[in-house]
Amino acid sequence: MSSGTGDTGLAGIVIAPEDATSMDKLAHSVLDDILYDLVHDLLIRVHRDEKSARANTAAIKVEKLALGAIDGSTPDQRPDVEIETDAAIYKDGRVTLKGNPLKTTKEILCPRCNLPKLLHPTDGKGAKKPDPGVIYCKRHPYIEKPGFDIYGQTWVAPGPGRGKKKKDMEKKDLNDPNSPVPGTEGSAKDRPPNVLSFPSATCSKCKRCILVTRLNNHMGSCIGNSGRNASRAAAQKISNSNGGSQNNDNTPPGSQKGTPLPGSRAASPKKRDMDDPDDDAEESDASKPKKKIKLATTSLNKKVTLKAANTTKKEKAKASSMLNVEQKVDDEDGKNSTVQVAPKKTNPKGPSPVKNKIKVAKPTQPSPAGKAKVKVRERDLETSVSP
Amino acid sequence: MSSARPATPASPKNYKVKAAQQGQPMYGCEHLQKLFNQDQVTTNTSIHHYKMILRTIFDQTPVVSQTVKVVDTQQVVTTLTPTYLCLQCPSTVTEEDRIKHGNKKSHRFYVDSRSAALYCQMCDDMVYDPTFEELRLKKLGTSTFSNTRKRKQDELFSPDPVKDSPAYISQNTTTATCKANGLRGIYNAGATCYQNVVLQSFLHNPILRNYYLSDGHSGCDTPHCLSCAMDDMFQDFYAVENTNGYTAANILSGFWISERKAFENLVTTKEQDAHEFFQFLAEELHERNGDGKKPEIGSEHSCNCIIHQTFYGKLQTQTTCQNCQGVTNQVQSFLDLSLPLENLTQKKGGKKLLGGKGTMTLQECLDEEYVKLDKCEYRCNGCNSTQQARRQTSIKRLPNVLSIQLKRFEYKQGRHERAAKIDTPVQFPLQLNMLPYTTVGRSGDTKDSYELARQCTYDLLSVVVHVGEIDTGHYVSYCRVGDQVCPFFSLWKMAMLTRLKVVRFQRPQGGSCPEVGRAQRKSLPLVLYCQVVDVGTLLGFLGRAGWTVSISSNGTGPTF
Repeated sequence: MSSGTGDTGLAGIVIAPEDATSMDKLAHSVLDDILYDLVHDLLIRVHRDEKSARANTAAIKVEKLALGAIDGSTPDQRPDVEIETDAAIYKDGRVTLKGNPLKTTKEILCPRCNLPKLLHPTDGKGAKKPDPGVIYCKRHPYIEKPGFDIYGQTWVAPGPGRGKKKKDMEKKDLNDPNSPVPGTEGSAKDRPPNVLSFPSATCSKCKRCILVTRLNNHMGSCIGNSGRNASRAAAQKISNSNGGSQNNDNTPPGSQKGTPLPGSRAASPKKRDMDDPDDDAEESDASKPKKKIKLATTSLNKKVTLKAANTTKKEKAKASSMLNVEQKVDDEDGKNSTVQVAPKKTNPKGPSPVKNKIKVAKPTQPSPAGKAKVKVRERDLETSVSP
Repeated sequence: MSSARPATPASPKNYKVKAAQQGQPMYGCEHLQKLFNQDQVTTNTSIHHYKMILRTIFDQTPVVSQTVKVVDTQQVVTTLTPTYLCLQCPSTVTEEDRIKHGNKKSHRFYVDSRSAALYCQMCDDMVYDPTFEELRLKKLGTSTFSNTRKRKQDELFSPDPVKDSPAYISQNTTTATCKANGLRGIYNAGATCYQNVVLQSFLHNPILRNYYLSDGHSGCDTPHCLSCAMDDMFQDFYAVENTNGYTAANILSGFWISERKAFENLVTTKEQDAHEFFQFLAEELHERNGDGKKPEIGSEHSCNCIIHQTFYGKLQTQTTCQNCQGVTNQVQSFLDLSLPLENLTQKKGGKKLLGGKGTMTLQECLDEEYVKLDKCEYRCNGCNSTQQARRQTSIKRLPNVLSIQLKRFEYKQGRHERAAKIDTPVQFPLQLNMLPYTTVGRSGDTKDSYELARQCTYDLLSVVVHVGEIDTGHYVSYCRVGDQVCPFFSLWKMAMLTRLKVVRFQRPQGGSCPEVGRAQRKSLPLVLYCQVVDVGTLLGFLGRAGWTVSISSNGTGPTF
C-alpha cells in the first residue's frame, strides 16, 4: 500500500500510463516512492554535512573574537566575555547559535586549522580562481582533469631511460645534441611543480641511490639472489660445497673406489682412473676462479664505499630542497646510468670489457662524477649517431 | 494504533546535554536550546524519547516507524516514504501532518524515520544537535548507547585515563597538516603493484590506521622491521604534506630480507599474487606486534596483536555422521574467507547459454560456501568406521575487518592442462550482512533481529582488482577514504584517477578524521556508495568498522 496521494508516489516522477493495470500502477508508485527515499537520504546527508560545517564555523568565529577580546593571554581557558555575532552568541564559555547557520554563515572554516576552506577546485572541472588575498586551508577539493590526478599533478612523459627505445632517444638528441638532457623532463628547471618524475630511493643494504622503478630489481640482486651476483654466489657455493665434501670426507679414497656407484658396476677400474684426473682438474679449475671472484668482490666493495659517500651527500642535498637543481643533476645521473645499462642488457652473457673499464673509471673521478659520466655518454652517443 | 512505541516511564537517571566543545555550538538551534534549558525533566524526557525513537527506527521492523495515522481521517497508513516521529509524544505523522500536529499539541520537534535526523518546526529545517547526533552515531555504530565494550578484542581500543586526557594528547602529539589525508600513490618499484594494492588497503583500514597513528608500534629495535616500515608509511601518508607518490623502499627491503619459508616463492622480482602478499604481510606484522608465536591458521589460535584483532575470525565446521547422527564441531581461525567460483560458474554457465548475463553475486558465493551442506567421508568416532557425513561450515566469530578472496582461477582440463582465470563478474554490495553465514544466524530465531543484523553488517572498505591475464596483468585497488572512494594505481597510473573518476561515496556515519598522534577509537560503520564490477579475483577485507573487498588473482603485476 503506497502512501501516494495521487496516481503515483511522493516523488511524482515515475507515473504509470493511464491504461495501466492496478498492479502496474502499484509498481510504478513503489518505484516512485523509492526514488523519493533515495533523494531524501542523499539530501539529508549533504544537508547535515553543510549545516554542521557552517554551525561549527559560526562557533569558531565567535570563539576567535572572544579570545581576541581578552588578548589571548591564556588560550586554554575559556574567556569570560560575552560576544555576539550575526550567527552565534558567546557567553560563559559556551557558544549558542543565532538563527539558521545556513543563512547566517556564508563561508566554511576548517575545524582543525580554522582557515577558510576552498570550496571549488583550482583546476579542471568546475574550477574557480581562488581569492589570492585569502590563505585557505590546505585541504583543497579534488581536481578532476584529464591527465591529472586529484591534486592536479601530472606525469613526466616517458622518455629515454624510462623504458623507451633508443630510437626515440636519438631523435631527441639530434634535435638538440648539445643539451645534456634530452626530452621534456630534461628541462627540469622549467618543469612546473605539479609535474612529477620518478624519485630515487636508498637501498637499505648497499646504501646506493636507486631509481624507484628499478628498486625491486635492485633489491633482488642486492638482497635476494637473483642478479648478476647470484650466479657468482651460486658458483661459490657449489665450489665451496665441492671442496667441503672432499675435505670432510673421512672415507679414504681407496674405499670410495671400492664401493661402485649403482649402475656403474661394470665400469672398469681403468675408466675410473681416467675419471679421476678429470675431477682433479675440475677442482683446480674451480679453485682458480674462486680466487678471482674474491679479488673482484673486494675491489667492488671499495667502489661501493666510495659511491655510497657520494650518494649520501646527494641524499642530504635532496632532503633540503625537493625540486632544486641538485636533484635534477641526480636525476640525470640516474638516467644516464640507465642509458649505460641498456646496451649491457642487450647481451648480458657476452663478455663486456668496456663495462669493466667504465666501472673502474667511475670511482677515480672525484666529486663531479655525474658530469664526467654525462660527457662519456655524450661521446658514446655521438659515435653511435655519426655513422 | 497511533504508534507501536511502548510508553515507558522516564528513567530516574538524569540525562546531560553534551558538554560544550570548542569549535562547536552547544545546541542544534535556538529552539532546542530553550527546550534543554527549560528544566531537567524536559531534558530527561527529550533525550529519553530520542533514544526510544532510535531504537524504534533501527532495532525494530521498519513497519513500526513507517506506519502513520493521518490526522484528518484517522486512517492508519503504512508508507515507504519518510515519516516523522514526534519527539514529545509517541505519535508518528506524515510530512504534511507535521504542521497540524504541531499546531494542535505545540510539539515542535520531529525525528525523520529514515535517517533519525531531527526536524525543528520553528526553524523549518533539519537541525543537528551535538547531544542527539552523538546518540545517533553511537546507535548506528555500536548499537548501544553506552561506551562499554562487550567484545574482548576491543581491549586495545579501551580508553586509557592518562593517555586519553586532552592535555596529554595536546602535549604529546602534533596536529597533522590538513593537506595530509592519506591519499597518495605508491610508486611501482618494478612489478610491485601486487604489494602496493595491499599496502593501500592497509593504509585505509581505520583500525590499522588508528593503531599506527596512536603509536601502537613503538620502541622496536628490530633491524628491517616491517612493522616499523608500516609505521613510517602511515606517518608519511597522514602527517606529511607531500602529494606525490610514496616510495615503499623500507617495506620492499623488509620484504626481501625477511626469510619466510612459506613465502619464499613470493620474494622475486616477478609479478606475484596480491593475496599471497596479504597473507605474508599479515603474518609478518603479527610476528612483529604479537606474542611472537607463529599464527596457526588451522587451529584455534588467539593472539592479542593488532593483526589478529583486525583480521582474524573463527570458522566452525560441524560434521554430522549419517550413520549415528553424531556431531563433531571443529573450530578454526581464519584470516580471510576464500570463495571458490569454479562450481558456481559452471552452474551459471547453463543459464548463460539461455541468455542470462552470467553474473553472480557475492552473496551467492557465500551461500555456496557457508549455507549449503556438503557431503564428505569421515572417520566417525561413534561408529568407529568411515562413514558418509554431512559437513556444514559457518562463521563462529566475525572479525573486525573481514577479508574475502574470490578464487578466480581454475584448471582447464584438456590436452594442455593449465590454470585459467575465471572472468565472470561478481557483484558485491556496499553493505554486506554476514548474519546468515554465522553460527548464530544459522541457529534461527534471528530473522527479526535487526540489531543483530546490524552488528553483522559490514561496509565496503576497499577492493583490490586484478586486470589482465592469469600470468600477467595489473592490480588496482579501490579504497574508501572519508566519504570518497579513490582508485589507487601504482603512481604510474595515478593520472588515470580521472579516467575512473573519484567516485563520491556516502559519508561515513560519523566517520573519524585521521589525526596524527592518535585517532578516534570508535568502530563505526563506514558506508560506500559505488558499484564496482570487479574483473579480477577478489581478496576482500570487510570490516565491522568498515569492510574491504579486495580482489586478487594468481600471480601478477605490471610489467613496467
